[in-house]
Amino acid sequence: MEQIEQYKEIMTEVIAKQSVILGPDMAIMRARKVAEVEVSPEGKVIEIKGNPDQALQKLVDSYVELSGQIVKNALGSIFTKYPSLKPLD
Amino acid sequence: MFPRELLPIVLILVGLYVVVVGLSFWWARRIKREIKEKEQEIKHRLYEIAILKEIADRTGYSLNIQKILDVIAGSLRQFIEYSAASYMLLEPSKIVFKADLDRSVSPAFIKEIRGRMLGSLEALLGRELADMQIEETLTGAIMLEDMDEPVRSFFNIPLVIGDRLVGVLTVAHTKAGLYNEEEMAILYKIVSQASHAVTSLEDVVKAEQDKITAMLESMVEGVVMTDRDYHIVAVNPAAKAIIGETATGAPTIFDLAEKFKGVFDIKEKLEESIKLDKVLTLDGAAIGGKYYQVLVSPVRSNAGPMKGQTLGGVVIFHDITHEKEAERMRNDFTSMMVHELRSPLGNIKKIGELMRSSKVLEDKQASSEYVDMLYESSSVMLDLVNDLLDVSKLEAGKFEVAKQQENLKELITDRVKFFNTTAQGASISLASFTGEGVPDLVSIDPKRVTQVINNLLSNALNYTPKGGTVTVECFMHKQGVAIDDEAGHLGMPWVNDDPQKTTAALADSVVVAVTDTGEGISPENLEKLWNKFIQFVSSVRKGGDRKGTGLGLVIVKGIVEMHGGTVGVGSKVGVGSTFYFTLPL
Repeated sequence: MEQIEQYKEIMTEVIAKQSVILGPDMAIMRARKVAEVEVSPEGKVIEIKGNPDQALQKLVDSYVELSGQIVKNALGSIFTKYPSLKPLD
Repeated sequence: MFPRELLPIVLILVGLYVVVVGLSFWWARRIKREIKEKEQEIKHRLYEIAILKEIADRTGYSLNIQKILDVIAGSLRQFIEYSAASYMLLEPSKIVFKADLDRSVSPAFIKEIRGRMLGSLEALLGRELADMQIEETLTGAIMLEDMDEPVRSFFNIPLVIGDRLVGVLTVAHTKAGLYNEEEMAILYKIVSQASHAVTSLEDVVKAEQDKITAMLESMVEGVVMTDRDYHIVAVNPAAKAIIGETATGAPTIFDLAEKFKGVFDIKEKLEESIKLDKVLTLDGAAIGGKYYQVLVSPVRSNAGPMKGQTLGGVVIFHDITHEKEAERMRNDFTSMMVHELRSPLGNIKKIGELMRSSKVLEDKQASSEYVDMLYESSSVMLDLVNDLLDVSKLEAGKFEVAKQQENLKELITDRVKFFNTTAQGASISLASFTGEGVPDLVSIDPKRVTQVINNLLSNALNYTPKGGTVTVECFMHKQGVAIDDEAGHLGMPWVNDDPQKTTAALADSVVVAVTDTGEGISPENLEKLWNKFIQFVSSVRKGGDRKGTGLGLVIVKGIVEMHGGTVGVGSKVGVGSTFYFTLPL
């Protein structure tokens, strides 16, 4: 699988997890505010614009900004599935 | 007729008019929209300020997150439309679920939001919560079974205090697409600020708790505090040491009760103390080889919303083992002194009866012997009483010495002569040595120094077996040299039990010592020598009694110290002892 596809997949999973935590409305609205990603109304990442590392970081930061570090901690299980991707700051 | 040449001008003017009107209309709409947005922003800001103020007013400096959530949930309808505003709080043994219904919903709707909230908590915690008991409270509108409106809009706000997830707040509606991001973000912000306030307050409370914990842990007394249900809520290390190891590591009231088994029922005492609102003092509880005075007291709040309420009870263990031991020693001492006085008194009484009832007075020799016995018995009693008085004066700081220039060497010679008869009678060799440079005159109280030498010589003769030797030594001590080395250089006998113990720091002085070849004193008995309440048994002590009163050496120490000197002893079991004292020049 191409790395960009892996990024799309992991970001889709992040949005799905945040949909459970925050509710789908809020999770998708926050994701759609990140300029580097294009997100479908269902929460699927369709396109990544620019550096995918930065896009992923910005997506996670947008959730952290809203409800704190705890939402980032909850994403640990997703990131372990993609060991080849650069870990978040 | 309208002139044709003006038509373009008219058209331009009409066009300009249309443009101006259009621009004005567009401008007015823009201004109106901006005003509306400003109004909305002000409305949101006012709501934010109002809700935060209400939280502060209604909960004050409270750590009760549920109270804060009640305020937030209760104020939501003035800001946002909802079918149900609910929260879930994680508690150690259950989950509190409370939902306020603004309009009637179906039980399925409630079940759905409850499931979504649990899902949110499980995702954040990374574990299942299915086994947890859920305590549910519904307020507001009633539930209607026949309603068929599912959850179409909802959002969750996680509640975090410090780094700890404590619950989730959820707003849900039966209408779809109801909540915009701006409104939701304001609620996140409010919850975040409330959580931050609670976190800061918790930090302050924790800092204060840490101080109390440090104080509790440094206490010598054992302290155990219970709540109203007799669960132990605080226990310091001293109390843990008394209670001992427990199965879980954290003592329970049952562990405490077990420790008190056969002494008293500690739970009953706690109940009694709380019921009567009084401190109970329980003396002499023997636990694990120690004696404790146990205080059982109710704990009442004297400030804040719980003022006057009983919070629980406290048990304080005060170790009185030493006091008990001292009391026992005092009792032993009193019994010993009574015994010591009773024996000569008994003799006097018997002689008196004999002299009164028989013709003994007519027999001159017999009556002379009885008078001698009377003198001896009364002297023993007088010596005992004098010793008691001396010790009493020493302890009261009223003991005085009358120093004068006196010939110490002559005084020692005189004492050796006096005890020579006793020594010969006991087949003990008594000798004396005087070193060079001892001045003829030394500033001493001759009567008291005589008492000191008498005591040391008498002890040495009493504890030295037949065929032994007792030596009285007198020599000069120079600061910087150990006294036993000085005695060694002079060829005088000296018993030193500890080469590490040095006397080199003592100021220049005259040393008087009595060395014997008696049974010696064990290290544990050496420690008891200067304690008036402790006497130890000797196997060779003469005079019928194997125990002394123990007062003699206490008085010796007191007299020497009143002269500014020091007393000391070196002894080895089976070798003998050296008792010495210094008299500063």
